[in-house]
Amino acid sequence: VLWNLVKHLARSKQLAALAAAAAGLAGVVLGWMAGSAWLPFVCGVIALSSGGFFLGLRRAARNGPSLRSEVAAAVAVTAGGAETGDLVEDMLRDGRHALLLRPQILSHLTADQRRRATEAQAAEMATVPAGEVLLGVAGEDLDEGRDDPNDPAARGALVEVDEFYLDRRPVTNREYLRFVAAGGYEQMAIWDPQIWPAVADFVDRSGKPGPRFWKNGCYESGQDDHPLVGVSWYEAAAYARWVGKRLPTSAEWEKAASSPVQLPDAAPLQRRFPWGESMQRSRANLWGAGPGRTVPVDDYREGTNASDIRQLIGNVWEWTLDDFREPGLVLPAPMKVIRGAAYDTYFESQATCQFASGEVPVSRKHNIGIRCALGACDFRPPSAPSRTEEHAAPAELVLADEPALDSEVALA
Amino acid sequence: MNRESAVYLDSFRLAQYSVQVPCYICSQGNNWDAELCRHCFAPMALAHQATAKRSPPHMIATIGASGAGKTVYLGMLMDMLSRQPDCLQILTRGGFSVNIQHTTIAALARREFPSKTPNEPDRWNWVHCQVGSGKRRRAAELIMPDMAGESLLEEVDHPHTYQVVRSFLSRCAGVLVLIDPTKVRAGNHDQDYFTVKLLSYLMELDADPKRGWPSRPIALVFSKADQCEECFFDPAGFAQTHTVGLWRHCQERFRRHRFFAAGMAGACAYRDVAGVGRVRVPLRVEPRGIVEPFHWLVQQVVG
Repeated sequence: VLWNLVKHLARSKQLAALAAAAAGLAGVVLGWMAGSAWLPFVCGVIALSSGGFFLGLRRAARNGPSLRSEVAAAVAVTAGGAETGDLVEDMLRDGRHALLLRPQILSHLTADQRRRATEAQAAEMATVPAGEVLLGVAGEDLDEGRDDPNDPAARGALVEVDEFYLDRRPVTNREYLRFVAAGGYEQMAIWDPQIWPAVADFVDRSGKPGPRFWKNGCYESGQDDHPLVGVSWYEAAAYARWVGKRLPTSAEWEKAASSPVQLPDAAPLQRRFPWGESMQRSRANLWGAGPGRTVPVDDYREGTNASDIRQLIGNVWEWTLDDFREPGLVLPAPMKVIRGAAYDTYFESQATCQFASGEVPVSRKHNIGIRCALGACDFRPPSAPSRTEEHAAPAELVLADEPALDSEVALA
Repeated sequence: MNRESAVYLDSFRLAQYSVQVPCYICSQGNNWDAELCRHCFAPMALAHQATAKRSPPHMIATIGASGAGKTVYLGMLMDMLSRQPDCLQILTRGGFSVNIQHTTIAALARREFPSKTPNEPDRWNWVHCQVGSGKRRRAAELIMPDMAGESLLEEVDHPHTYQVVRSFLSRCAGVLVLIDPTKVRAGNHDQDYFTVKLLSYLMELDADPKRGWPSRPIALVFSKADQCEECFFDPAGFAQTHTVGLWRHCQERFRRHRFFAAGMAGACAYRDVAGVGRVRVPLRVEPRGIVEPFHWLVQQVVG
């Protein structure tokens, strides 16, 4: 009662503790002057404990609540649940089902967990069949006679791409928050060793680990479903590893976006845009066609390609695995390829499936985000031959060493 | 045998030649059919267009060191405002006004920066345009030249070398001063000194406290901020930290000034060009902060 009264009068715990410590000290002095034997002792104990309490409160106020608890609370709110203590359940909740579907782990799951993981995987990622894709050719080059259209080798590099899965949407702020809350910036095993000394520099505006434009380890309210931006290539790669995926290669990205049609004895026919040959500004968030900032990843559905992969063009650029190289160009620093254009991309010619730009891997730009990929071979048992080797048409994914699970094994 | 022929006296033509048409920039007389002013080399079309308007056009200068990005900034600004008239709308007057927009955008689309503006004033690009917005009932007329940085420097160091620079800066209502922040950040103070020189030159031209440069609006733009991202978050703070001389000069001398940051390229690389050397090329075009300084300046100038 006395403590509550003092606290009420002082209007804060810190002031109350300070007042109690001061009163204790005063009691010690008065008791000593009065010649009392026990009063200075009792008042000294009160003064010391109150002083210690005051220092503790002050330190806590300076440090603030721990990042982990703060963000974990935010995740619990946004994701609709807190940690359960069950690793598989936690991974399913965090969207790390791609890890659970690995042949090495799958046998340890219950039938219900397998079904949920498979359904989540099918909903989140689209299958892109194996095939060839022609890289490094632009329509303007052919128009202006800079390339010989009759010479496939001169038109660009013909790259064979194995079957793979690609996220239907760019990674959102909400999804990345789970990675931050799970201590992703402290799990050095998922980071490239060359960036270890610099991981501590990947902080948000308040100095806490996270994307550049976040604050206090969290994004701005209302941005849950907006694409994540402000992350370096290394953060993108670490996140992809954490969810059991990887970044797509430049060839994979173009394969998914341009939907090449294989022709006998000829280079594949590829689309300029996921929806066709002509730019339609209502289908992508580009400069002059959108609000001038990122939009939620489910917007612009008209720009979806045949495999229901959204926003391949527009909204944010996407990091890829490849190093950026272009004949005749001298780069000021090593760069990684980025694909897909962003909300502020000015020219339509730079918002095509064929256009690739470069960015320094440590830069954390306002318009570069993440889209993850995963090779189909990752779901096969190590001994099984790849579909490319078999020249087989893409079909349903059969999970390794597992009894058939009717609906849940089909990821198509 | 002699043939008779009739030669008519075009007296109306003689009359036209007898009356001098003043150049809109330097006010010197010219023949009525001159293409460029024979004194300052400004297009005479400006004078003809201006006399046809009830209210005289406002003049806005874009100045800065050579290579600061004046041509790219002006060309990009014109193209953006003519394509997306959300806050401001620009309509060009005369074919010559489209040149800078055309050459800049064509170069950027090829992933190149436009070639350097020549020092000869008769080869500069001029823009005469009408600028308006939904809020303003009457559109304002603006004249903006793309002056070469080296000519500016020459005029500042040796006054009266370039009459057109002197005349234009004396009469213009506001300036956009472009500064390259990448050089500033690298510890190169040339940009700082050159900008202070330019601003001092403006004060020399007209130091009247009410109508002169102390009270005219000045937008100071860090033009390549895409290569120096800290500019975007706090341009004034960047100026205070990295261009201390310029910052103090503005605080002391100019009542209406503001710092901005603008960027055009998302990333840049280099290309070796035969006979030229290593040139910078934009890897992609993502304009940021281009319209804001101009919008502020137009608000200050036109009201």
